[in-house]
Amino acid sequence: MTDPGDQLGAGDAASGGTPPPDADSSTDSGPVDALRVEHLSKTFPGTRALRDVTFGAAPGQIHALLGGNGSGKSTLIKILAGVQHADPGGTIAVRYHRIAAERTTPEEARDLGLRFVHQNPAVFPALTVSENLAIGNGFETGPMGTIKWRAMRHRTQALLDRFEIPAQPSTLVRSLRPAEQAMVAIARALQDQEGEQSGVLVLDEPTASLPAAEVDHLLSALRRYAEAGQTILFVSHRLDEVVGFADQATVLRDGQVAGTLAGDEITENRLIELIAGRALDRLFPDMPEVVSDEHVIEVSHLSGGPLRDVSFGLRRGEVLGIAGLLGSGRSELLKMLFGAYGHKGGTISLEGKPVRFRDIGDAMDAGIAYVPEDRGTEASFPAMSVSDNLSAAIIPNYWKGLRLRDRRARADARSAIDQFFIKASSEQQRMATLSGGNQQKVIIARWLRREPKVLLLDEPTQGVDVNARAEIYALVRNAVAEGCSVLVVTSDFEELSHVCDRVIVLAGGTVTAELRPPDIEPARLTELAYRTKEVAS
Amino acid sequence: MTASEPTPPPLPNDEGAPTSTALAESTEPAATRSGESQPVMAFIEKYALVMLFAVVFIFFCFWSKTSATFPTKANITNVLGDQAVIGILALAILIPLVCGEFDFSVGPVAGLTQVLCAGFMSRLGFPLFLAILVPVLIGMVIGLSNGNTVARVGVNSLIVTLGVGTVLAGVVQWYTDGQSIITGISPTLTRLGSGDWFGLPRTLYILLIVAALVYYLLEHTPYGRYLHSIGSNREAARLVGLPVERLVLISFMLSGALAGFAGVLLVARNGSGSPLVGTVIDTLQALAAAYLGATAIKPGRFNVVGTIVAIYFLAFSVTGLTLAGVSNWINDVFNGAALFIAVLVSTIIGRRRTGTI
Ligand SMILES: Nc1ncnc2c1ncn2[C@@H]1O[C@H](COP(=O)(O)OP(=O)(O)OP(=O)(O)O)[C@@H](O)[C@H]1O
Ligand SMILES: [Mg+2]
Repeated sequence: MTDPGDQLGAGDAASGGTPPPDADSSTDSGPVDALRVEHLSKTFPGTRALRDVTFGAAPGQIHALLGGNGSGKSTLIKILAGVQHADPGGTIAVRYHRIAAERTTPEEARDLGLRFVHQNPAVFPALTVSENLAIGNGFETGPMGTIKWRAMRHRTQALLDRFEIPAQPSTLVRSLRPAEQAMVAIARALQDQEGEQSGVLVLDEPTASLPAAEVDHLLSALRRYAEAGQTILFVSHRLDEVVGFADQATVLRDGQVAGTLAGDEITENRLIELIAGRALDRLFPDMPEVVSDEHVIEVSHLSGGPLRDVSFGLRRGEVLGIAGLLGSGRSELLKMLFGAYGHKGGTISLEGKPVRFRDIGDAMDAGIAYVPEDRGTEASFPAMSVSDNLSAAIIPNYWKGLRLRDRRARADARSAIDQFFIKASSEQQRMATLSGGNQQKVIIARWLRREPKVLLLDEPTQGVDVNARAEIYALVRNAVAEGCSVLVVTSDFEELSHVCDRVIVLAGGTVTAELRPPDIEPARLTELAYRTKEVAS
Repeated sequence: MTASEPTPPPLPNDEGAPTSTALAESTEPAATRSGESQPVMAFIEKYALVMLFAVVFIFFCFWSKTSATFPTKANITNVLGDQAVIGILALAILIPLVCGEFDFSVGPVAGLTQVLCAGFMSRLGFPLFLAILVPVLIGMVIGLSNGNTVARVGVNSLIVTLGVGTVLAGVVQWYTDGQSIITGISPTLTRLGSGDWFGLPRTLYILLIVAALVYYLLEHTPYGRYLHSIGSNREAARLVGLPVERLVLISFMLSGALAGFAGVLLVARNGSGSPLVGTVIDTLQALAAAYLGATAIKPGRFNVVGTIVAIYFLAFSVTGLTLAGVSNWINDVFNGAALFIAVLVSTIIGRRRTGTI
């Protein structure tokens, strides 16, 4: 795959109806990049998402794209995919084919050999693997328009073999591991590159919602595809997975390329420096010591849903972590405490008094706040403004004299935007047009503004950059200093080990271990989360 | 079915359907529209319908075929007065639409309360205030039943309200035996329907008062904000503690009550209760106005002012064409086409704004 002649041929084959190779393209003597963008800019009203971005990804390499929230990564990918147009002047080149970036179409991007897998890959859990793959490629039909199931099964089996996905064509996608679901989405994107594997695969935060062990599984699959000649460009906020895995890394900051690193240069410190623009001395702030022994929440013998017989206490001013795998019941536990998910047995007491929340409103009145795991479906109001999103949980506060005090709500929103380091062009910007990480900060701010007694956080830093992660925990720390207690669930055990006063391990629906500071280590947590699972099943 | 609030599109956001344009990062949910576009474009978008309305109006004033009949006081006050009923129906349908639900029964509810209002006066000798109040309450009860089935049981609102609408149409036939009720209608009521104040039909004032109330409700009360939130993301609304079921149910009750009131206004306007007035066709006309209204004033958001503009844009266009000698079928064609185009345009605006072309 390094023979230039071969590459030229490959480019030709992939480019279909696009114009012939640019003869006078200014490529220098080295091997031509599999993907190269030059002078790419993108202006939105009120923001410049990208400024003169130029970088290239070498063929057969894994190239990481990093940068803080709102630095323009997703915008770059949308331009590559042809769903958004860049400002005039930029170019996108795949091998020897160069096109103007201000009017790419999805078809063109496809013809160039670019393939995309978006965050939360759109697989259909209730359909089979075979149907999921066919949806991207059209069903093969016979003369009467009926689906040729047998042919489809064969084709699917071939694809499953090629991408080394351990599943049958008739397996329901729902029953696959999260990483394998992502692999099905990848296979779907790449399936039409028959035999020839020299395209460019672009993935936007493929690992953000995967637990640690799943990440390894997916990354080793990506490594195999790269070895087969595929060039891979992927976005991630998890530096530990980039270091030692990516061959090259490009970092964006405020829409500009802050630097490109290769091989051994890729270290966590270098990356942080490029992302944040300065060295961060501390990734996680010190949490104040727990002063009180008083239990704010006391859970005993709670059961219902996947949970059975869960007991623990949360003290005032404590940050208690819950470590567990996907499906261990950790999210359900938080929802039960928030009155959003009924429990069958056991009791919950708040400040010594048993409580039974009839609905979420009750829980909120009692001083409980909940930041859900899935921002897109459970927390954000995409069509509404940042200001409306921030005030969603405190609207009655603005109802005075038979009128909603919108101006006051907006003024408060502006100060929240400053206080919580949200990157938005104004408080009137639509939520949907904020970058992913900034949407997350809006949701957290929404709840912290209520000054809750108990804050329930489910994956609070998913898709949040290193800098913002530190900021979010600084906000949590301030809340804790004021006497708030926090229950935090995250798949990032590294993070748990830094921010928690205590961690309980949830496996198979019950608490199987409890760790205190010197013992809270990522490796130990992983081991516990898995081992107990095996015991349980 | 849900009419997701941002771009009022006919299709709900299919869970991650892999269309070629659904490439937007999924945590930034297939964004329906961006915040601000360039000021000029934003202005044009906001007032396009108003300008179109003005152009159409001026055109009919000067077109040789209509210049004698269209710009007359009689014609204009007639249209202004007649459309009050459809206007109130459009406001009725707007309320559940904001939280993503359809109420197709508004037309038939008005049809029912109209014959009931006339029947109460003519057959039962109800005093006027009861003949107005009871039909409104009946409309509200029908709304309660619709809302209960939709919000608590979870049945698709389109099906529920179409079914209920059909039943109501049957009830009207049964109650009237196919005959109009023309005797015993309170003259006070008919004066309200046909009289004017300061040269403008009284029904127009009534429409404007109702519009102001609905505007206040949807834009300046927590309830309105809650409905918009539910329309934007129902699960998120639930998780910020909103009693979603109750709020949706109330939206249907309000819609039913307004539709019931529209029925009373029909009696006032026509001086009778007719088995032929108040049908699903009226619902569709109201729906067309609501969707068309969502392309104007506050593009991408169902809104009261846009809806009222849309009502009169449609009415004056149809009247102009009728006066020009085009026969009656133009009415259906025009309203149907308007609904279609309104949905089309609002979807396109939405997609262009996010750059998903
Ligand atoms: N349609 C839009 N209208 C206006 N501004 C937009 C739009 N889309 C994105 N932006 C802005 O462009 C900037 C870059 O956003 P982008 O989504 O590319 O960031 P990102 O690097 O993917 O961040 P994250 O890591 O948080 O996902 C942000 O400031 C965002 O608010
Ligand atoms: Mg992004």
